[in-house]
Amino acid sequence: MAQETADRLPRALPDNRSVPLAWRNLVSNKRRLIRSSAGIGFAVLLMLVQLGFESGFFNASLGVIRQLDGDLFVLRASKYRFGDEDPFARRDLDPAAGVTGVASVVPLYAAWQSLFWKEPGGDKSYLVQAFAFDPDRQVFLLPEVNEQRALLKQEDAVLVDRRARPFLGMGGDARETEINGRAVHIVGRFGLGPDFMSNGTVMMSERTFAGLLTGNRESAAALPVEYGVIKVQPGADVAAVQQALAAALPKEVRVFTKPQLIAFETTFQADLSSAGPIFWMGTLVGFVVGMLISYQVIYTDLADQLPQYATLKGMGYGTGYLMRIVFEQAALSAIIAFVPAWLLCLLVYYVVGQLALLPLHMTLSLTLFSLALTLAMCLIAASLAIRRVLTADPAEVF
Amino acid sequence: MPLHIAWRILTHQKGRTALALGGIFIAILLIFVELGFFIAVPQGGMLIYDHMRFDLLVASNKYIFQAESWQFPRERLAEAGRNSGVAQASPLYFGGAKWQDPGGGLRLDIAVFGFDPQARPFTVADIENQTAVLDRPDTVLVDSQTRPLFGPLQSGRVVELNGRRVTIGGDYVLGTGFLGLGVVLANEANFFRLFPNRRPEQVNYGLVTLRAGADPDLVARELRGLLPNDVQVFTRPELAAHEISFWTTRTGTGLIFGSGLIVAFVVGIMVLYQTLATQITRQLPQFATLKAIGYSNGFLNAIVLIEAVLVMLIAFVPAFAVAIGIYAVVRSKTLLPVNMTGIELGGVLAATLLMSVISALLSLGRLRRADPAEIF
Repeated sequence: MAQETADRLPRALPDNRSVPLAWRNLVSNKRRLIRSSAGIGFAVLLMLVQLGFESGFFNASLGVIRQLDGDLFVLRASKYRFGDEDPFARRDLDPAAGVTGVASVVPLYAAWQSLFWKEPGGDKSYLVQAFAFDPDRQVFLLPEVNEQRALLKQEDAVLVDRRARPFLGMGGDARETEINGRAVHIVGRFGLGPDFMSNGTVMMSERTFAGLLTGNRESAAALPVEYGVIKVQPGADVAAVQQALAAALPKEVRVFTKPQLIAFETTFQADLSSAGPIFWMGTLVGFVVGMLISYQVIYTDLADQLPQYATLKGMGYGTGYLMRIVFEQAALSAIIAFVPAWLLCLLVYYVVGQLALLPLHMTLSLTLFSLALTLAMCLIAASLAIRRVLTADPAEVF
Repeated sequence: MPLHIAWRILTHQKGRTALALGGIFIAILLIFVELGFFIAVPQGGMLIYDHMRFDLLVASNKYIFQAESWQFPRERLAEAGRNSGVAQASPLYFGGAKWQDPGGGLRLDIAVFGFDPQARPFTVADIENQTAVLDRPDTVLVDSQTRPLFGPLQSGRVVELNGRRVTIGGDYVLGTGFLGLGVVLANEANFFRLFPNRRPEQVNYGLVTLRAGADPDLVARELRGLLPNDVQVFTRPELAAHEISFWTTRTGTGLIFGSGLIVAFVVGIMVLYQTLATQITRQLPQFATLKAIGYSNGFLNAIVLIEAVLVMLIAFVPAFAVAIGIYAVVRSKTLLPVNMTGIELGGVLAATLLMSVISALLSLGRLRRADPAEIF
């Protein structure tokens, strides 16, 4: 008898494809739809913001590395992150030019702990990140730097980052200031932005750099090098050139490809800096909180619609059908809530990005990843709440 | 009377109340976590100062924050010492060194403090008990939170600091704050052997302690009048205000956690509002009945407000307990001082009370719609 009922009744009922029941359930009560979309939407926003902060944190640290115009980088083997001062003797770089496949070798000088920039018109000086190179050679991809680097041939000329933190005063139109107590001329500006280690960036010629560090511009040739920036010849195999370089250069230095240099810095930021783990935990908290909020919303919605589900059950619809409706409804809720949250997040990224001067950008991968997390959140929430529907007793509900 | 009704409403349907409590618990927990992160930033910046013995800090007029302190002439401290309220004015030196194992490997940045152990600049028992160790030549104490990357920190290990061999004499528990990956302490003689280009006449921080009964604000004023303007004088509260303002408004870390806190606050209000509004919608028949019996709108509003505050207070307890656990995890993972202090507790309690009142007010609109004639 039971078997017969199960076989007969569903066939007599309308085909579930003709009635988009999950959709109708959602839109039947507009007020509830807005309420639950807002709830899930804020959970999504929280997650997107935390994810965005995390990727913004890494992007800020990697920004300047991505702007380096090189295929291979020679650095001292004892360096533990991109921005620690640990230069090597310039003569250690000499064998590189003779290695097969190497098209050019440009020494890049850098300082993170040695140059103090005086706020133009102010009286305070701040540590800044500084890069120095031969103005005739291209070391950075930044178009503004390459258009203006010829100007760096003037004595004590510097290019400054207009996106530096405002208290450095790099963004205005000042032409003169001091670095380490010596007058410098601001001959141009570029847009890079600060990261979590440095507030602003200055670029100059090797001679100017030597003058600021040692008081003697003529000592430039003796300055130790932070990075040897190497371009390989067109068509050359980067990995093979890397191996040849490693064999030709002294043991005090090592050779990284650009992706290896990026991975090197990412590892430092993720594992060793104080801020990295906080962002990772923030993302986790965002997901857990988002998940609990979604559970709340979906559970409440299901509880509200219990009479309807009980009715369906009373009519003879099976467990599988009800489960499908519940999951469809959860997935629809997730998508409906995702759209406004995504749009609102663009605004949050913009405002926080301007305020904190961090590269917060909505990317396709961020969008897809957070959409997947949202769907997962809502479906998990639905699977937790579904027991309620399946045990609904038509006789008791009314 | 409204309290009684609010309580009865909450206890009537325990399942629904539990669900509401869950939502509010999450909102409060979120605020706790974000506030903990946000406060950890300036607290990390203040950690070392909080364990230093001084009533007034003398620093260069170029001072930016602890790790960018600049230097001032040591004679300023002698001048300060002539003030009748000053008991002691001692120099503290600071520098960044490279740490490397004699066998090679990475050259890691480490912060070094140099001082006269007899001046007892730190209020850390481990440091005060090891003054004899600090006075050994080429010996340093190392902070126990110096990262594992630096290798074992046991006494007797020889390492190179700025290329000079020094022996780890012992460790101490303080924390590295935001000074970097590691901190070591040295006496003055050892400090200047590590930094041969530094001169003892140029000091990073001047730690001034006062005689019993002297008023820090008064002495600070007198010192400001007395000393040339190449230095500035901070009282402890002034220094804390200066460092906190630096960390929260001028660093990416402070700004981003500030933004995170605001987002958490908004999300929290929405969750609370949702939960309360759902509760009220459900209880609309009851409220409409009360209205029909003749209770005023004000009375119903009072019930909702009390209900909101009650739910908030009940959810606060488990959120507080879980937050303590989360703080402990964050502390161990990030080595930042994420602690449950009065600031966090009071701040979150005040914030959630404010949030529950705001969300209750938002959901009162629903209550006004309660029409006895329509409900049934």
